[in-house]
Amino acid sequence: MLTTVTMITAAVVLALLAVATGYVLGWANRAFRVDVDPQVEAILDALPSANCGGCGFTGCSDYAEAVARGEAGVGLCAPGGAGCAKRLAEIMGVEVTERLPYRAVVHCAAHYPQRLQRTPYEGEPTCAAANLVAGVQGCTYGCLGFGDCVRACNYDAIGVVDGLATVDYRSCVGCKACARVCPRNIITMVPFKAERMLVVACSNQDMGPDVKAVCELGCIGCKGCSRRADRMEMDGNLPVIDYDRYGSAGDFQVALEKCPRASLVFVGKPSQEDLAAVADEHLPDEIRADFKTTVDDTEWRG
Amino acid sequence: MDTAITLIQIALGAALINNFVLHYFVGICPFLGVSRRVDTAFGMGCAVTFVISIAALLSWVFTYFILRPAAPVPTWVWRVCGGDPRTTVDLSVLSYVMYIFVIASSVQFVELYVRKFFPYLYKSFGVFLPLITTNCAILFACLEIMKRLQDPDRLWGLHEALTLAVGGGLGFTIAIVLMAGIREELDMCDVPKPLVGAGIGLITAGILAMAFMGFTGVDKGIENAINLLLR
Repeated sequence: MLTTVTMITAAVVLALLAVATGYVLGWANRAFRVDVDPQVEAILDALPSANCGGCGFTGCSDYAEAVARGEAGVGLCAPGGAGCAKRLAEIMGVEVTERLPYRAVVHCAAHYPQRLQRTPYEGEPTCAAANLVAGVQGCTYGCLGFGDCVRACNYDAIGVVDGLATVDYRSCVGCKACARVCPRNIITMVPFKAERMLVVACSNQDMGPDVKAVCELGCIGCKGCSRRADRMEMDGNLPVIDYDRYGSAGDFQVALEKCPRASLVFVGKPSQEDLAAVADEHLPDEIRADFKTTVDDTEWRG
Repeated sequence: MDTAITLIQIALGAALINNFVLHYFVGICPFLGVSRRVDTAFGMGCAVTFVISIAALLSWVFTYFILRPAAPVPTWVWRVCGGDPRTTVDLSVLSYVMYIFVIASSVQFVELYVRKFFPYLYKSFGVFLPLITTNCAILFACLEIMKRLQDPDRLWGLHEALTLAVGGGLGFTIAIVLMAGIREELDMCDVPKPLVGAGIGLITAGILAMAFMGFTGVDKGIENAINLLLR
């Protein structure tokens, strides 16, 4: 029962206890203080805190510690870009080394109609699962189109267009998340020396007839391009572009013209011609969802 | 000898027979939240055992000297304030406030200490420590100890309180590691779609709790067996 006795003693005891605990904790806070490097804190503030792991460290705080210890370069943060690198360099008192923006490139160009020998797949709709099953599609190298990369992307920069993963280079920050999850390893990081880069959009290492049997676009390994452009080499049955010596797209003009398939494509931000081609198309001011045509692909995750 | 038997009974009772999680259903939050992998579950179990022991030590001290009826400290305060020395001072109303206060500040203290002197330990269970601050299993242990400090003729000693805490923490570790082991296997199973995730987790926990109900009455049996052996 709450009597005057209880109330008075409770008040006194609690007050004493509060003072005692406050004193002990305050003392402990000072006695057990761990000095955090102020540089680490400053670096952490300058980083965008996206925790994407693109730099190769577990998170922004790990990267900040590595930079402060001098073990990592200042320009590894892809989402932060050049501005972030500059601020980190100021904090660390070093020069920024010029770093090209790396962007994801999908080495496959075939949409569903161009891929042959596909069979209906009713299993778990992820690339990782479909990749374990033989015969989902004829080409065992190309994009499966179930969008593991789309789910991995934090920046909404990759989407599946008619079965082909397509990067939106206006949003891509080059964090490598998509390249890491792709079970077929067809996404690589390419240094974008220009707005639009030439890439080999095929990953099929098979011989010509085998490629023709499964794909309408894939590279048949004719070596036509590598013979005509000195910055291309053959790796097995696929040409590889040497991006270290990549100058301008003009270097590859002959190779491009000679390619009998459509394996060499330009990717990157839309070119002036692309923009001009769609300039007169009218976009509605407001787009309303139409429940008849809109597919609800939200998944319930318990 | 009698003390040893009592301690064994208290420890067994807290760890298995009246398991905190599977009999009293306290501490369900970390039990379901941190039981995805066996190694993190074991870490959580160790952290809980550690904190529960410290909380039990402190709560026994506070209950014995402050909270139980006619405890020395409030009686002394009352006398100093000039009150009637014949009144019995009972501060049990403060128990919840006091325990939360004690647990929170001791966890804070332990965290500071561990961070300074055992940085690796801090890295491995630094995440769990603040989480445990508000774990009801620990408050439950404190209240259980308080229950045993009400009757002035049969007061629990510090050793009994600590045995209850360590036993209870051990029981929590057993329960959460069992659960984590089952859930690791469960990942490979074909679970009906509506039950995936929390649903099957709760069903598993329920079955596990029912299995532990099988221990009911074992304490009486152990007591009888010990008495038979000693006779």
